[in-house]
Amino acid sequence: MGSLFSQIATVTVMNVRSLPRRLWMSLAMVLASAVVVAILLAFLAMAKGFETTMNSAGSDGVAMLMREGAAAELNSVVTRDQVSLVEDLPGIASDAKGPIVSPELYVIVDGTKKSTGTDANIPLRGLDAAGMALRGNVQLTRGRSFRPGTNELIVGEGVLREFDGFDVGSEVRFGKNTWKVVGAFSTGGNVFESELWADAKVIQSHYNRGSSFQTIRVRLQQPGNVEPLQKAIAADPRLNLDVQTEKAYFAGQGKQLQYMAIFGRVISFIMALGALAGALNTMYTSVADRAKEIATLRALGFSNLSAFCGTIAEALVLAITGGLLGSIAAYLFFDGLNASTLGGSFTQVVFRFEMSPELFVQGAVLALVIGFASGFFPAWRAARLPVIVAFRNGA
Amino acid sequence: MSDFYLIYKNMTRKPLRLFLTCFAIFIAFLIYGAVTTLKGALDAGVDLAADNRLMVVNRINFTVPLPISYFRKVAAMDGVKNVTHANWFGGYYQDPKKQLVVMAVDPESYLRVYPEVVVKPEQKKSWLRDRQGILVGEKLAKIYGWKVGDKIPVSSNIFSQKNGGHTWDFVIDGIFTGNTEQYDTGYMVFHYKYFQETQSFGGDNIGWLVLTTEDPSLNEKVAKKIDTTFANSAFETDTSTEKAFSKAFIEQIGNIGLIIFGVVFMAFFTILVVVGNTMALAVRERTGEIAVLKTLGFSSARIFKMVLLESLLIALVGGLAGLGAAKLLIEGAKTAMAQFLSNLVMGGDIVVQAVGYMLLLGLVTGLLPAVNALRLNIVTAFNRAGV
Repeated sequence: MGSLFSQIATVTVMNVRSLPRRLWMSLAMVLASAVVVAILLAFLAMAKGFETTMNSAGSDGVAMLMREGAAAELNSVVTRDQVSLVEDLPGIASDAKGPIVSPELYVIVDGTKKSTGTDANIPLRGLDAAGMALRGNVQLTRGRSFRPGTNELIVGEGVLREFDGFDVGSEVRFGKNTWKVVGAFSTGGNVFESELWADAKVIQSHYNRGSSFQTIRVRLQQPGNVEPLQKAIAADPRLNLDVQTEKAYFAGQGKQLQYMAIFGRVISFIMALGALAGALNTMYTSVADRAKEIATLRALGFSNLSAFCGTIAEALVLAITGGLLGSIAAYLFFDGLNASTLGGSFTQVVFRFEMSPELFVQGAVLALVIGFASGFFPAWRAARLPVIVAFRNGA
Repeated sequence: MSDFYLIYKNMTRKPLRLFLTCFAIFIAFLIYGAVTTLKGALDAGVDLAADNRLMVVNRINFTVPLPISYFRKVAAMDGVKNVTHANWFGGYYQDPKKQLVVMAVDPESYLRVYPEVVVKPEQKKSWLRDRQGILVGEKLAKIYGWKVGDKIPVSSNIFSQKNGGHTWDFVIDGIFTGNTEQYDTGYMVFHYKYFQETQSFGGDNIGWLVLTTEDPSLNEKVAKKIDTTFANSAFETDTSTEKAFSKAFIEQIGNIGLIIFGVVFMAFFTILVVVGNTMALAVRERTGEIAVLKTLGFSSARIFKMVLLESLLIALVGGLAGLGAAKLLIEGAKTAMAQFLSNLVMGGDIVVQAVGYMLLLGLVTGLLPAVNALRLNIVTAFNRAGV
């Protein structure tokens, strides 16, 4: 008998090569781990995609000012006078045209979803050139930008993906007003891509908003530092505003879907337990089936350890095959899948499922755990079973 | 020796295997029960919608308000039985993060349009009289421990008071229950007049109108009438049945729900396949014994019945335990999640469906080995087992 390693190798190869003989059992084991891995990856990919959409939206260099107590942009109101007052506050960065301040409006309009043909909420944001400049990563992908003072709007790439009727050049009607889509923009996949943008003044007049706005965004002198602004606002009773960085705002808004991700993890964990029970059963049956073979090997002089390792290796091979299949299935079905849901501001957030390499690693780890756990106990039993008993039972 | 004794012995010969099999089935049905209940709760708004109830919202979107004058105009239309209006208040109690469903409504017509809302007569009387009174749903009252007569401050993250604050003080005049268990009583309503007088902006706007028609067959006609009446005005309307409206709202949560349920059900069936496979194998292992039983004079039909009963029994034991655990889980989650999903109820249809799947699992996994056992030729069986 060779070294321990060559023994283990021999038993492993033998076990793996005899797998087709136990086709159904092997398939069951593969299936079990494939499903668990696929479920986990699906949920993680969803959470990841949503997170990317929300996180990359929030800039640390931009502060958001909303009416006190307003939890979302939709609920906030800011007057024209307040906007003028804010422009003079400290801590705001300036360019050639003065302090970089963007008063914005946010109304909800209906769009028709491609997937279901039903209506869903889309935000229509009113802003000006300063507002577009404030979002550093805006790129026009098609057409041109809207002209101030006209019923023109530009549409986010996310809206284009998920909703019907917003193609560049087409006309859309909200209530009495007809808008012309003159361009499409991308903001690098973040939440702003789920929006329509138009001139703030036009929206004010169409939606009876007078001269009010909903939020004010400002570029900060020092990224992340809202303290000077906060102090100045607290000192002025005319400014009943809350200040936070845009990043903090979106992190708060993203909380909702995080529950979904936790839910997903819990479900895949529980499902994994169920599948593990199935896998364990399969391995026990498989080992019991070959009790005599294993006993023969041991009678021939193979060590207990090599019998043990061989069985574990077999379980690992099956689980990893399953994990691989599950990952591939998850990748094919879910990667890049467009989805949308109601976000914190009561509007649709369009995002993509995102299957990143570290998710695959998590899936692989899970497959290994399943393989190891389901192989360990049966292998332990096979290696410990007295040879004589094995022969007697097998007869 | 009764058949049941044999079945019992067969089942328990490998306790570990029995445990693992039952456990896997248990998990599968635990998740099935929990997830279908969750789905049922999400769809409850659609299922409970009254047939003759219509929603009138602004065509632009239901968050855009309508003028109050529409209330009288719609009330005067033919075919309209009752009509009421409501405003979303954006309320919260103490913590802005914990939103409450609070609406400003026209009290009398509201109770007429929503017969599901059950209030004790004397409470109803005092609420209708009391302009600062609020009517609280039973579920909501339970969460915060509110009683009739309590004074509660409710804040709004949309509106502000004329005096600059965001908080309104209300007196709880009544606590309402639903006429069915599924009816969601996790909200509260107060007088629109009080809201209108105290808010600093918003003027004479209402959020939406709800009306009942004299008969469901009139729905379409009435809806069309309303929408054409207000077409080409500054506030165009979109009228749909309550059912369609709720459904559209649920769909806003989006294909995410669909994807999750899809994934879970796929997993559910895969677990059943895996488990079924082991159960079938467990019977096949016993070919030799079945041959012995046949030799002893057991009829084929009897053996067939025994094998089938065994797999049915295993499926039911695991499955019913799982369903029971799901029920417990939901009862626990009910209080914890009352704010988001208040009508978590495991309905009879879910139980029936689940039991159906258990029987199916038992039959499918038992049938093939049972048929094999039925057809088994004793001599071949002994030959096979003897090798």
